[in-house]
Amino acid sequence: MKKRVLFTIAMVSLLLVTCTRRKSKLTFMVGGAPNEVEFWEKLTETFEKKTGIPITLIRQPTDTDQRRQGLVIPLKSKQKDPDLFLMDVVWIGQFAASKWLQPLDGYIRREGFPLEPFFGRVLESADRYNGELIALPVYVDGGLLYYRRDLLQRFGYRSPPQSWAELVRCAVKAQTTLRRENPNFWGFGWQGAQYEGLVCNFLEFVSSNGGRLTTKEGKPSLNLPENIEALGFMVDLIHRYKISPPNTYTEMKEEEVRNLFQSGNCLFERNWPYAWSLHQAKGSAVRGRVGIAPLPGFGGKPGASALGGWHIGISRYSDAPAQAWEFVKFVTSYKVQKELVMGLGWNPARVDIYDDREVGEKFPHLPALKGVFQTAVSRPNLPYYPQVSEVIQRWANRALAGKIGAKEALDKAQKEAEEVMRAYK
Amino acid sequence: MNQGLKAKGAWGTYGFLLPLFLFICGFILLPVAGTFWTSLFRDVAFLPKKFLGLANYIRLLKDPNFWRSARFTLLFAFGSVALEVGLGTIFALLLNEKLPLRGWLRAAVLVPWAIPIAISARVWELVYNYNYGLANYLLIKLGVSSGPINWLGSGWGAFLSLLLADVWKTTPFVTIILLAGLQAIPEELYQQAKVDGTNFYQRFLKITLPLLKPVLLVAILFRTIDALRIFDLVYVLTHGGPGGMTTSLSLYGYKFFLSSDFGYGSAVSVACFLIAFSLSILYLRMGKFGGD
Repeated sequence: MKKRVLFTIAMVSLLLVTCTRRKSKLTFMVGGAPNEVEFWEKLTETFEKKTGIPITLIRQPTDTDQRRQGLVIPLKSKQKDPDLFLMDVVWIGQFAASKWLQPLDGYIRREGFPLEPFFGRVLESADRYNGELIALPVYVDGGLLYYRRDLLQRFGYRSPPQSWAELVRCAVKAQTTLRRENPNFWGFGWQGAQYEGLVCNFLEFVSSNGGRLTTKEGKPSLNLPENIEALGFMVDLIHRYKISPPNTYTEMKEEEVRNLFQSGNCLFERNWPYAWSLHQAKGSAVRGRVGIAPLPGFGGKPGASALGGWHIGISRYSDAPAQAWEFVKFVTSYKVQKELVMGLGWNPARVDIYDDREVGEKFPHLPALKGVFQTAVSRPNLPYYPQVSEVIQRWANRALAGKIGAKEALDKAQKEAEEVMRAYK
Repeated sequence: MNQGLKAKGAWGTYGFLLPLFLFICGFILLPVAGTFWTSLFRDVAFLPKKFLGLANYIRLLKDPNFWRSARFTLLFAFGSVALEVGLGTIFALLLNEKLPLRGWLRAAVLVPWAIPIAISARVWELVYNYNYGLANYLLIKLGVSSGPINWLGSGWGAFLSLLLADVWKTTPFVTIILLAGLQAIPEELYQQAKVDGTNFYQRFLKITLPLLKPVLLVAILFRTIDALRIFDLVYVLTHGGPGGMTTSLSLYGYKFFLSSDFGYGSAVSVACFLIAFSLSILYLRMGKFGGD
């Protein structure tokens, strides 16, 4: 009994000591796949050697929601650690509105830090909040159209479709013929399950029809006629043209869609750039037969790609912001950004890397992505975005399930989104 | 025999209870009280903190999404518990008989229970999958269905799919508890009843069921509380879809925590707790625990 009490006291004091230990190092919180975290670990070591600023890496899990939670807890309790962290692009609005991020404008002005190398639109739509620059992009992501080059050729198409109508025509034609050989063949796979990915797909369809999710003032505008038409088209892909499988709205997330395409059972695929190297890997049924193109648009309108990616920010509660800024500069430097592509195959946030010869040799598809990222559209940068997203997911998914019309779904979504806005004003 | 306890006096008795008391306070009462306290505030990361009184609860009462997830959760809990207790009783009765390989069978029954929920949910994902799922594969091979079925595609389909996965997973738990209860019933009672010329059903209704009742209630209580917290299965299999039709209460509350609305998220959690708590009290009353 006594031993146990002593043990407990010892453990509690140890815990207190660890929590209040005097802080001497920069801490950087980052998660992801094991190879990514390993890469970051090496990077922090290089930084430490180069600058003499000690830095510790705190490993986070792979799951995005858990990474977010792991950051919210220390930030909400105003902890000095972590000084630095990576954020998913959709968190930035809330983190900024919570005043958890250190504005970077001071450093940039003082040092004449050039912002031109970065994707301008990404900086403006994601990293700037109320006029202040509060983060810098580390890597970017955007929706792309993957297609089977061999099949397009077989059916007499010389280039991938530029409009949705063209895509439907092409997919219907191919699917009708190929079904005779393969009953599991589908025309077009995309992400329609009830989760964040659906919002990205919805945003792309909507934007490629000239619609938008919020007004310029940041108020929800979900039931615009353009948006209703776009959602109606998404429903039609499943229920009318039947070129997208019925489980589009139940199971289709990134990996599910990628597997469908990669097993050779799909003509077109909407996915993020990560799918490219996997499609081209050994053992892939579509290796060497995949093409990549910007997403189509409605009528003559240009297609749109939803912006994804991760950004680096400095905590407002950091006790070493100047050193932290050194690390931000390091991570966004040409050299490290190039290492990110070469090592992990990530799409750099700097435009100049896309013209690098060595990078172009290793990733011949990369230059084509430059244009996609330059025009990518952002999800609304609102502090209560997660809840608006939840509303969109729920109602769009219900429409995809065929339970409700596109107009009624978006009218209801609009009403709920307005309520969300009112609740958090 | 009581001399020892008496000699130490009240202090000794309370001293022994103290660690348990501290444990319950520290790990159960404090967090519940803390959650309730948080639910009285507007505690949103990006807004100034403000005392609201019961305003979060008023918002809750007017929130149709809350009611929809409460309805789903209750329906799920009652459905799954009824099936699990029914099947569990049958399995327990069978395993209580002197079957060949009884030990092996008892161990085999436990297998689903030994698998973590998140993993068994992933397994069921592979069963229900539209393109390569086991269920569709079998139905088509057997000629029952001409094409694949989108199991999770409708509200009821998703509900029943979740129910089946949960019943598969937790029936073993009920079976084992009831089996323990069955073994505690003295064999002599049955022998006596047989001498009296009763049949199997009479023995089941007059001996087994009444003597099993306390254990049965414990099983129902545990399962109900557990089923009301259903999270993992929904999170993995449907994520609340299609169209929010399978959002459980804990998933609903979780979404608010995820979007940094700790006040309202806490209110949802407290409501969830109150539902489980009042049902538990009701069961305990029905089982007349505590009184002789």
